[in-house]
Amino acid sequence: MKKKELEEKEVQIEETPVVEEIKEEMVQDEPDMIKEEKERSSRVAPVVMASEEEQNKDMAKIVSAQKVLKVVFKVLVYLFLCVMALAVLFPFYWMINSSLKTLAEYKRPVPTFFPAEGIQWGNYAEAFTAANLGTLFINTVFVGIVSTILSLVITVLSAFAFARLDFKGKNILFAALLATMMIPGELFTITNYTTVTNLGWLSTYVVLIVPFLVSVFYIYLLRQNFLQIPNELYLAAKVDGTSDIKYLWKVMIPLALPTLISITILKMMGAWNSYIWPRLVANDTAHSMITNGLRNAFTDTTGDVNYPVQMAAVALVSLPLFLVFIFLRKYIMKGVSRSGLKG
Amino acid sequence: MVDNKQQWKAWLYLAPALVLLLIFTVWPIINTVRMSLLENYSGLRAAAGETFKFGFNNFIQVVKYKQFVQCLINTILLTVLTVPISTLLALVISVCLNSIKFLSRFLQTIFFLPYVTNSIAIGMVFAAMFNIVGSFFGTQNEIITTAGIINNVIEFFGGHRINWINAGSTYAANIAVMTIYIVWNALPFKILILLGGLQSVNKQYYDAAKVDGTSRWRVFWRITVPLLSPMIIYVVITGFIGGFKEYSSIVGIFGETMGPADASGRLNTMVGFIYDALKTNKQGRASAAALILFGIILVVTLVQLRWSKKRVHY
Amino acid sequence: MKKFRLVLSLILAFLAVFTLVGCKESTNPSGDFGITLEEIIANAKKLSYSDQGQGQQQVTGTPNFNVPEGGYDGSAVTIKFYHTMGKNLVTVLDKYIKKFNEIYPNITVDQKQIGNYDGVRDQISTELPAGNEPNIAYCYPDHVALYNLTGKVVHLDNLINSTIADDARNGGQIGLTAAQKADFIKGYYEEGSQFGDGLMYTMPFSKSTEVLYYNETFFTANSIPVPTHWFNESEDDTTSLEAVCKKIKELKPDCIPLGYDSEANWFITMAEQCGADYTSATGDHYLFSNPTMKTLMAKFREWYQLGYITTQKLYGSYTSGLFVADENDSSTTNSYMSIGSSAGATHQRPEKVTVTKEDGTESSEYPFVVGIASIPQMSTTYQRVISQGPSVCIFNKSNPQEVVASWLLVKYLTTSTIFQAEFSSVSGYVPVLHSVAQNEQYAKMIAKADGTTNIAYLSAKVCLEQADFYYTSPAFNGSSVARDQVGALLTTILSKEADNAVKMINDAFQDAIDECEYQG
Repeated sequence: MKKKELEEKEVQIEETPVVEEIKEEMVQDEPDMIKEEKERSSRVAPVVMASEEEQNKDMAKIVSAQKVLKVVFKVLVYLFLCVMALAVLFPFYWMINSSLKTLAEYKRPVPTFFPAEGIQWGNYAEAFTAANLGTLFINTVFVGIVSTILSLVITVLSAFAFARLDFKGKNILFAALLATMMIPGELFTITNYTTVTNLGWLSTYVVLIVPFLVSVFYIYLLRQNFLQIPNELYLAAKVDGTSDIKYLWKVMIPLALPTLISITILKMMGAWNSYIWPRLVANDTAHSMITNGLRNAFTDTTGDVNYPVQMAAVALVSLPLFLVFIFLRKYIMKGVSRSGLKG
Repeated sequence: MVDNKQQWKAWLYLAPALVLLLIFTVWPIINTVRMSLLENYSGLRAAAGETFKFGFNNFIQVVKYKQFVQCLINTILLTVLTVPISTLLALVISVCLNSIKFLSRFLQTIFFLPYVTNSIAIGMVFAAMFNIVGSFFGTQNEIITTAGIINNVIEFFGGHRINWINAGSTYAANIAVMTIYIVWNALPFKILILLGGLQSVNKQYYDAAKVDGTSRWRVFWRITVPLLSPMIIYVVITGFIGGFKEYSSIVGIFGETMGPADASGRLNTMVGFIYDALKTNKQGRASAAALILFGIILVVTLVQLRWSKKRVHY
Repeated sequence: MKKFRLVLSLILAFLAVFTLVGCKESTNPSGDFGITLEEIIANAKKLSYSDQGQGQQQVTGTPNFNVPEGGYDGSAVTIKFYHTMGKNLVTVLDKYIKKFNEIYPNITVDQKQIGNYDGVRDQISTELPAGNEPNIAYCYPDHVALYNLTGKVVHLDNLINSTIADDARNGGQIGLTAAQKADFIKGYYEEGSQFGDGLMYTMPFSKSTEVLYYNETFFTANSIPVPTHWFNESEDDTTSLEAVCKKIKELKPDCIPLGYDSEANWFITMAEQCGADYTSATGDHYLFSNPTMKTLMAKFREWYQLGYITTQKLYGSYTSGLFVADENDSSTTNSYMSIGSSAGATHQRPEKVTVTKEDGTESSEYPFVVGIASIPQMSTTYQRVISQGPSVCIFNKSNPQEVVASWLLVKYLTTSTIFQAEFSSVSGYVPVLHSVAQNEQYAKMIAKADGTTNIAYLSAKVCLEQADFYYTSPAFNGSSVARDQVGALLTTILSKEADNAVKMINDAFQDAIDECEYQG
């Protein structure tokens, strides 16, 4: 308990004064239903009036009953989470399982739950040595980081405009943007390919980064988040003469951090796993991405894909990324957990 | 109150996004419309110098397709089934994850793992779970090598084996498998978004509710859901958009034939239709189908947005 | 009622098989489509290699490329070559590109692996409208038909027949010599002119075909002959697949005697062996809905219901997995024959098991020996096996030197005996030249062929022996649609429950044709 409090204090100290101020203001801005709840419970409370002793006994009973209920509920929650976690984990386990099999075992009609022909660590060794991993890795990290950062900047600015600023045709523009998500992207490829050819961007880093920087998907997500931050804050900041950018940086971004982290993860993963577009527009060795190197490396002599080795490659490539996110998330969440919105 | 300065600023902030969207999204859409209105347009033929006359013949062809209604039904059915189920499930999981302290980080990490799972692996798991390996079902020579994990479980509890995806399986069984697959596939993303949303909600509300002794059920419906409503409507709308574009998940389970061995094409969807047309470079027809699909999604989304305007609590 | 009818029809089907020869006209359900199986067999036996029409197709088009007068002028050009080769094949390719560069130092070859075959197709069809296509591409015939919508695929005729001197090689010429032409395995070479106008679009690069893998240990132990043809031709026929399946099923009721990996190949090969229509590169493309094919499919439906045969899609897993499964494991089933790609021989070999010998020592051995033979035929005098595997095509460029240089590379790789020998020994594919068999290294390798360790060599050996039997089906934009449709058609007919099988079969054919007409 004590540790928790301490942590809380630390966090609060770290927070910028602006956020503190805003939080106070936000508390006053309670939604109606909460007030309603409060009123209702305070109305009900006085009915259970009895002598103090009796009351204490009853309270004890109620408390113990509540405790039991609470424990039962907790157990149920954990049970549910564990079952769902297993379900969600199964494909992941299967990927690791497959990555350790021989191709012959992989092709067996009755799948095995554990590599029966001995664990093939060699698949990982093969995956590791097969492709020109060094260059590919650096390329991918570079493209991944640059496109994620640029994408975040663009997304934050656009979401801010849609959430906070008033301008003519805002709703129509937003609806139009949403509409662009509704056309299957496969149809874009050919036109976009012609465009980047005409722009002379083929086989450059630009072509790997720029065309997919903007995602309406993320703008929409962040706008939803920004909208939850009361407008009064912004207006107040305006009166104080705080600039938009400062307000964004000091208030909106800290408050929307969880969502921004989600976006970072999605974007990074997208950059990491993109395959068809990089192959199409930058199939020279200097600009190849990791998935291109990996996917192409594991066809066996007959042109069949050697899936176990490919699985090993995917696991090998994704796991570092995964670990980075676990670390990042833990680190960032520490700062975020107490600074909620709307309160 | 729309002052000029704000106008100017808004467009400035939006400029980078809009410029890129114009080049890489709007222009392809315009091109899609153009291709759909040129009769029997094919990009490769056009490259050879062939010209195509203006007309609506592509749209007529799409609608006239024997399996068009089936494609449409499959698309809508899968969307309508999977979006509510996956959203609700993701919501419950997120709330549970957010409410626990012990092991919470560990469990959150686990629900994160699917992101690094190869999609081929997910398809394979389903084969292991639902695929009956064997032949001659329903004949006296029926031979079964393995009935799949799910059937093993059903039989363990004394149930009858179900033919999920193989020759002779029913449409309902096929749809059930697809629903499970798509929900499963969609869960991690939805959990990520909803959990992110929940972590933004201030704990004070819950503390207040706790003091008041409000029941969990009430807290869930009266506090959590309203506060999370922007994120919920987000996952619902994007879920619908994604659902209408379902294709690769069906290929993952049924292969390119889009159906069980004795009924190929039975589970084809609108996007599957578009892929079929692109295979022989019928881009005019593919574009027309894409625009029809676009129209459907647009109407559904507008209805949802209108509905959500009244309910979403910002 | 439904069940009863099913049982009844099964009994009838059984009766039909047993009394097939005795009362063919009256109860044989094959007569339902206007032709009987006996007539089909008789028709097939009348076919001969000489009246095979597609090979000597009339040239109706004009080649779109003329070799410049000076031939290759030695100028510096870069040739982009897209393929799907894995790492070990690229090593071989690089080695020979180096040798090629010793002759043509100014031709830079930029070879690239682009995923799998579909990957190459999608990549090139996106690049074509923008003019970024490569110079040379690994291809399948239907891909070329797709690329050819742009008219950018080079007709090779004038290059092949060019007598212009090749300055880089003393006394050499740009085109192929008569000896070089004759060295190509005919069926493979003719694939290049299956596009309807008789012009040459592709050169064969490395090929594979389908072969019959059988469990030699089991066949010998039970003195079962290797099947040579599909159907019983007399009452005491023992070498038909039908008789062999029946015998195996009697010996091992819980097995599936034969697994056929590719449904589409099965359908197309049957059409080819019977001389029945499948598709045409010109005019009405989709001709496969005919009495012969319907009758054959009805017959195979019976086989399926008798438990003789299955396919990958019907079985729900690779049929090679079925073939290599342990026959003594009661929890699983197995097959004794498997028809699959000759290039996949190593997948058809069982895993080694530990055997304890009498003297107590343990050793790791293959549980059975695999035999390889040609697939069953309709007629022993008109044998047909499918030709698959990549060819290469060349794209037209504004600089004719690039095209000539591309051709020189293609010519170098496809006519080089040593390259073909080395490439084939690494890939498991079949060389496209007769002369490879005489290559010392290759001959040594073939001599080592056996049904266990060197199964890939055995497969190569069988393929060499059937060099005269290769066929390819016509190629046009949409030929892959037909391929997909007949594959699905076959699985539907074999497995669909139906009270009225004849109607079901007719409907299924009609649906497949409709789908082809719409998609193609």
